[in-house]
Amino acid sequence: MRMWVYVVRRVALLAPVVIGVMTITFLLVTALGPVQQLESAFGPPPIHGTIHSYNPTIPCSEITPGANGTCANPLWNELAPKLGLNQPVFVQWGFYIYRSFTFQWGTVSNYSETQTPLSAYIHGQPVSTVLAQLLPYTLELAIFSLIIILAVAVPLGNLSAVYRNRPVDQASRVMSFSGFALPAFLLATFLVLAVVLVLGTSTLVHTPWCPGGETSYSEITGSWPTPLGCGAPGGGGPISNFYYPAWLTFGVVSHPTGFPTVDAMIHGNWWLAFDTILRMVLPAIVIAFGSIAILLRFVRNSMLEVMNLDFVRTARAKGVPESTVVKRHAGRNSLNVTITVLGLTFAFFIGGFPIIEDVFQLNGVGYILALSVLPGQEDFALIFGSTLLFTFLVVAANIIVDVLYAYLDPRVRLG
Amino acid sequence: MASAPPPSPVPSGRRPSPRIAQYKRTWFFLRRNTLALVGLGILIFLIAVALYALTLPIPWNQMDGYCGVHLPGCTYVCTTPPSPPGPNCYAVNQNFPAFIPPTLSAAGGTLTAGQLPLGSLSQTPYSQIYYNTLSGILRGADWSLVIAFSIVVSGALIGLMVGAIAGFWGGAVDEALMRLVDIFLSIPVILFVIITVSVFSQFTIPGLSPFSSRMLLLILAFIVVWWPFYARIVRGQVLVVREQKYVEAARASGARKGRIVARHVIPNSVYPVFIQMSLDVGTVPLLVGALAFLGFNLFGLSSSEVLPEWGSLSAFSVNQFDAVFGACSVGVCVIPWWQILFPGLMLFLFAISVNFFADGLRDALDPRLRR
Repeated sequence: MRMWVYVVRRVALLAPVVIGVMTITFLLVTALGPVQQLESAFGPPPIHGTIHSYNPTIPCSEITPGANGTCANPLWNELAPKLGLNQPVFVQWGFYIYRSFTFQWGTVSNYSETQTPLSAYIHGQPVSTVLAQLLPYTLELAIFSLIIILAVAVPLGNLSAVYRNRPVDQASRVMSFSGFALPAFLLATFLVLAVVLVLGTSTLVHTPWCPGGETSYSEITGSWPTPLGCGAPGGGGPISNFYYPAWLTFGVVSHPTGFPTVDAMIHGNWWLAFDTILRMVLPAIVIAFGSIAILLRFVRNSMLEVMNLDFVRTARAKGVPESTVVKRHAGRNSLNVTITVLGLTFAFFIGGFPIIEDVFQLNGVGYILALSVLPGQEDFALIFGSTLLFTFLVVAANIIVDVLYAYLDPRVRLG
Repeated sequence: MASAPPPSPVPSGRRPSPRIAQYKRTWFFLRRNTLALVGLGILIFLIAVALYALTLPIPWNQMDGYCGVHLPGCTYVCTTPPSPPGPNCYAVNQNFPAFIPPTLSAAGGTLTAGQLPLGSLSQTPYSQIYYNTLSGILRGADWSLVIAFSIVVSGALIGLMVGAIAGFWGGAVDEALMRLVDIFLSIPVILFVIITVSVFSQFTIPGLSPFSSRMLLLILAFIVVWWPFYARIVRGQVLVVREQKYVEAARASGARKGRIVARHVIPNSVYPVFIQMSLDVGTVPLLVGALAFLGFNLFGLSSSEVLPEWGSLSAFSVNQFDAVFGACSVGVCVIPWWQILFPGLMLFLFAISVNFFADGLRDALDPRLRR
C-alpha cells in the first residue's frame, strides 16, 4: 500500500470516532436544555425588565409591552430555528454535528466574575476564535514538555534495560513510580513552594522592567510578567514600570503567530522571550513527570525484549561495539514502542493541561477551561468547545502516530 | 532474595485443583518481591485505617471542625460544648490565625487548647473555619477507598463483559463495540467527567440529597469513561483464549456460547484485568483530587465545606496557596506546609503502594517479565 493511501484510510477510519465524540457531547448539550443551548450559542440574552427572553415559556406580553397575545418569545422564534431546536432530535443532532465541524462553537458568555486579563479579553467573542488564539500557547507548552519527556524517558529507559537491576534501573523505577503516584497539582505546588523558599523575594532573573525585582512567586507563574506591580500578588512591591508591548494584547494574545516565544523573538524582545521560556520550565517538568513514568517502563521492557532477539546477538557476534548495538540496533527498534505509547497516552497527557495551566496561571486553553467550570460561573460554550478541541488534538495525535509508525515499520502498511 | 535455589512453587503431596494451584503460584512469586510486599502492607494498613475511621464518633461525611462561635457557614458543631475546652472542641480567638501547626509530640496525649496533632486545614490564614488534619485524613481513608473501589470494580466488570462479548463473537458486534471503545478513549478522562458533572449537577436525583446525587453522578461519570480501557484489554486476551484447545473441547461437547464465555473464556482472560485494576485503584483518587482542585462544585458542598477525601483535602489546602503566599509577601510569613503535606502524603502513599503491589502482581502473573 502506498503511504498516502494508508494515511487517507486512517483519517477515514477516524471520522466515525470524531462523530461519536460529538454525539456524546450532543447528548450532554441536549440534557442542558434549549435555553442553555441558546445562551451558549448566542451569548447572554438581552434583558427586558428582569426577564431573560430566550425562554419560550414566557409570554410575549411580559417581554415587549404592547405585542399581540398570540406571539411567542421573539428571540426564541428568531434563534431557535438556527440551532434546529424546533426540529426533531435527530435533526438537532445533524445541526450539532454540522456546527461542530464548521467550528461554530458558540459565544463566550460573561461568565467570569474574577477579573483576569484573560476574561476581560475573551468576553463576548466566538469560542472558536478564543480557543484558536489561546491554542498556540498550549501547543508550545506541549511541544516543550514532549521534548523533555523524550529527552529523559528514552535514554533512561535504554540505560535501565542495559544496566538491569543496577542502581540506574532502581532509580528510574523509583522515579517512574513517583510519577504514577504524585498528583500533578501537588507536585506543581511543591515545586513552586520550593522555588519560592529557595529564592525568597530575591530575583530569579533581573528583569529589566522591574529593577527592584519581583517576588519569585510572580516570576514563575503566569505566561507573562505581571503588569500590576513588581510585588504582585499581594501588591507589596513598588509600582511597576512595565507595560505590555503593543504586540501583546492585554497581556494575553501575542501577535502575529500567537506562539509567545516566537513572537517575542520576531519583535526582537529577547528578554521577554527568555522570560517566557523560563516560565514554561516548571509547568513542562510537571507535565512531563507523569508521562515519563509511563513511557520509561514501556521503553525499558521493549528494550529488554529486543536485546534478546537474534539480530542483536548477531551484531554482537560480529564484534560491533556494545554502545553501537544499544544505540543503532536495539534502540532503533524500540522506537516503535515509544511512539505507540506516546500515542496511547496522549489523551492522558493533554488531560493534564487544565490543571497545570490553572496552577501556573498560564494563558492557554486549559486555563480557560479551568476558569469556565467554576460554580455559578459555568460557561458551557467554552466547556464543550474546549472538550471538542482536546478531542480533535487527541485524534490528530493518533493519526500522526499511526503515520509515523507506518513510516518506521513498513510491515504495518504493507501487511 | 538471591539465595539458595527456590523451592518448587507447588508443594508436593496432594495436588490442589488447577485454579488453586495458580493462586498459590502467584502468591509464591509475589512473596519473593519485597516492594510488592511493602505495597501490600501499606495497603492493608490503609484499609485498616479506613475501617477504624468508621468507628469514630464524627459523622462519616464530616471532619472534626473548629469553628468560631458567631460564624455563618460553619457547618460542624463541635461534639462537646466550647467551654470548658475539651479534646474535640475549643473556643476560637477571632484574631488567632487558623493555621495551627502540628504538635506531633502531643499526639495521643492530652492537648492544650489550640493544639492539634497534625495541625489544621484551613481555607485562608485567618479563616474562622478550620479542620483537624488528623481527623480529615482518617475520614479520607473511607471516602477515597469507597470511591476508588466502586469506580474500578464496576468499570472492570462492564469492560470484562463488553470485551468478552466483542472478542468472542467477533464480526460486526466486535467492530461496533470497538468503535465505541475508540470514541471513549479519545476523550480525556478528566474532560469527560468535567462536562458530565457540570451538565448534570443542576439535576438532583429524586429521593437523594444533593450530596449523594452528586457523589453518585461523579462515580457514574467515571465508570462511563473507565470501562473502555478494560474492554480493550479483555478483548485482546479473549482473541487468544478462544483459539485454545479447551474452548474447542467445550464447544465440541455441546456447550452453549454463554456457558463457554462465562466458564472458560472469562476466567482465563481475567489476569491482565486484575493488574490494570490494581493500578487504577491508585489513579482514581489522584483524578478526583485534580477535579476538586479545578474548583468546580464536585460534591454540592458550600464553599466553606470540604469532603474528607484525600484528593479533595489536598486540593483544598493547595488551592489556598495563592492566599498564603500573598500574605507571606506582606510580611506575616506562615507557610502551612503541614496542611499540604499530610493529605498529599496519604494520597501519595496510597497510590505508590498500589503501584508497588500491581507491579509485583504483574511480575508474578506474567512469566515473561519474571526475573
